[in-house]
Amino acid sequence: MKRIITLVVNGEQREVAVEPDLTLLEVLREDLGLTGTKKACNQGECGACTVLLDGKPVSSCLVLAVRAHGKAVVTVEGLAENGRLHPLQEAFVTYGAVQCGFCTPGVLLVAKALLDTNPHPTAQEIEQAIAGNICRCTGYVKIIEAITAVAQNQNI
Amino acid sequence: MRLPKFQYLEPATLAETIPLLMEHQGRSKVIAGGTDLLVALKQRLHTPAYLISLSNLAALKGIREEDGMVTIGPLTTLEGVSAAPLIREKLPGLAQAAWEVGSPLLRPMATIGGNLCLDNRCRFYNQSLFWRSARQPCCKAGGKVCHVTNKENACFSTYSGDVAPVLIALQAEIKLVGSQGERILPLEQFYTGDGRRPNLIGGGEAELLTEIRIPLSSHTGCMYKKYRLRDSIDFPVVGVAVALRLDQPQGICREAKIVITGVGSRPVEATQAGEKLTGREMRPEFILAASETAAAEIHPVRTDQVGPSFKRHLVRVMVAEIIRELGGVDR
Repeated sequence: MKRIITLVVNGEQREVAVEPDLTLLEVLREDLGLTGTKKACNQGECGACTVLLDGKPVSSCLVLAVRAHGKAVVTVEGLAENGRLHPLQEAFVTYGAVQCGFCTPGVLLVAKALLDTNPHPTAQEIEQAIAGNICRCTGYVKIIEAITAVAQNQNI
Repeated sequence: MRLPKFQYLEPATLAETIPLLMEHQGRSKVIAGGTDLLVALKQRLHTPAYLISLSNLAALKGIREEDGMVTIGPLTTLEGVSAAPLIREKLPGLAQAAWEVGSPLLRPMATIGGNLCLDNRCRFYNQSLFWRSARQPCCKAGGKVCHVTNKENACFSTYSGDVAPVLIALQAEIKLVGSQGERILPLEQFYTGDGRRPNLIGGGEAELLTEIRIPLSSHTGCMYKKYRLRDSIDFPVVGVAVALRLDQPQGICREAKIVITGVGSRPVEATQAGEKLTGREMRPEFILAASETAAAEIHPVRTDQVGPSFKRHLVRVMVAEIIRELGGVDR
């Protein structure tokens, strides 16, 4: 039986009718058209489907949509403001931290959550924060450089 | 792969939950954080008609200290356990173990109770329906033969939770609540050793884990170490928890509890190794003897990519390392 759930997606209140067996990932991609959130392993191992749920990064493939009712969701589409990329996105472009790009939305959101709670993380804290996001192009060094640059407020 | 169809029930209180568990016994699953269960559902390891959600049971969340006992609600997330100042200060081994589970994306959802109730795993079982359809169902999936050992009616799937070994080493107790009332038992008695039904409530019994209690006075040091194939996210190949009680720093060991995960169908206590250490000083030769004993008294089978002999080697190295660190002994 479908239920009506209310989500605040990227600051905008959305109502969706969902079956209980749908994951938040499926609702975001298929009902709300937000395909920036990627579906990859679908088992919570790769981090490509990361979204921020009430500010915390989670694998949206392992969240039942009905459980996200009343919560705030931030996807990669919610990072840019007024047509300007988020500083993290700018840094990823500048530092070449994007290769195939499939892991990028997840890594960006994890990095945002990290910097929101810990504006000046150490290199180790950055590595630990992105530990759940697998980049198969193995571009981790540049990803860490980009996040570090934003944390240090460098001119991007 | 998508989730199978199910009806989603959200009882508001514990009193509402127990009758639901009874009513739908055998065709329902309880969902706490869901990080392990939803994967199993996607793989069609279970196709329950009902999913009973615990997310509204606020009384089962939280950590508190009273009467020399730390009480943890089973719905406390692993992130919550590993970050709680009380746990970090008084039970650092537990904070470490909770932090070692999965990845940072799973720990805000996964709960400590769910981790204790983790189903056993095996390379022939935890696979997609398509993968499994290439051969007869294994013993754990309702078939006759265990594909690891070729034995009939015996399942050797491996318990690989990270938190239980630490809690058993710390002599934790749990509270189970069911229609017959509540019972309190040592956590080690929660595990059956039967791979098909690894704990007392995993087979769909109408009982719920409602409390975890850890006595604070039983040890002077406790540590957990985990070896896994991918350091950022994985189940343990081997995880070792040791709780020691010493009469003074670097002094004589009064009690040693060594509990190992990833090497059997339940968290395995290396009792002989613990006895070998008891009454001894923290000296390298005694530590070595205990670690050799621990490696000899486990019986791992090849349920993941790592063979038994390497698991024994890991246990030997890890047990010695932890005891040295806890005992303040140099290499």
